[in-house]
Amino acid sequence: MTSPSSSFWNTASREAMKSGMFVAKVYCFLHVTTNYLGFMAYAYGPSMIPTLHPSGNMLLAERISKRYQKPSRGDIVVIRSPENPNKTPIKRVVGVEGDCISFVIDPVKSDESQTIVVPKGHVFVQGDYTHNSRDSRNFGPVPYGLIQGRVLWRVWPFQDFGPLGPTPT
Amino acid sequence: GPSMLPTLNLTGDVILAEHLSHRFGKIGLGDVVLVRSPRDPKRMVTKRILGLEGDRLTFSADPLVGDASVSVLVPKGHVWIQGDNLYASTDSRHFGPVPYSLIEGKALLRVWPPEYFGSLR
Repeated sequence: MTSPSSSFWNTASREAMKSGMFVAKVYCFLHVTTNYLGFMAYAYGPSMIPTLHPSGNMLLAERISKRYQKPSRGDIVVIRSPENPNKTPIKRVVGVEGDCISFVIDPVKSDESQTIVVPKGHVFVQGDYTHNSRDSRNFGPVPYGLIQGRVLWRVWPFQDFGPLGPTPT
Repeated sequence: GPSMLPTLNLTGDVILAEHLSHRFGKIGLGDVVLVRSPRDPKRMVTKRILGLEGDRLTFSADPLVGDASVSVLVPKGHVWIQGDNLYASTDSRHFGPVPYSLIEGKALLRVWPPEYFGSLR
């Protein structure tokens, strides 16, 4: 006959094991999903007006295409900022490697423009609202390795649920 | 390849790398790091960090040809990486400063071949 205390600890350890296993499974599922399939990205700020609201949007982004194909012109991508590794801005790809890109350096101040060729392995990203956006015009073309994912849908605010608007250019 | 001779052998070494330092900003001058190549995201390169953001560096433009040198200022959020073998390395001298976020690991030890087991330096 087992004593009541050993019975208690047996039960407790079994319950703890079950809970731990469940938590581990949930963690593994989330890890695989967010690293290989898709993830939620939060976007705020003025740089992507009118495509995204400056007051905040929740977006669904996917990581599948970045492993099998190069980004296309017009894709909206989540990148790791070359200036601050802790930030993940959302911008639109306007040029891919080999493209010749002309852009107005600072549209608020003057019409002066600059032309560059996008180097191999890089893309040129730009916010849709060019008057107030920190993008490849400031920090240069972005290596593919900094692209975290491609945006599919906006999921919040709810009234705007669905694919993002068309390419403005 | 030959870019990290004499630190790493031509015939291929196996090294132990860790993935935590760069997430906490602990990468420093002289560290050997694994970097996603800016030219080909399917490749990983192993180089040594010789400059951090804000540093000014001077390097030989092409050591095989002449003594001409070039000075650069490493921009914000970037690092300057070079292979130890200056004559046979494609690194920041060719593709420029590398964003910090392309760093994927820091090399700790060489574990193969066994007679060379130990710290990289």
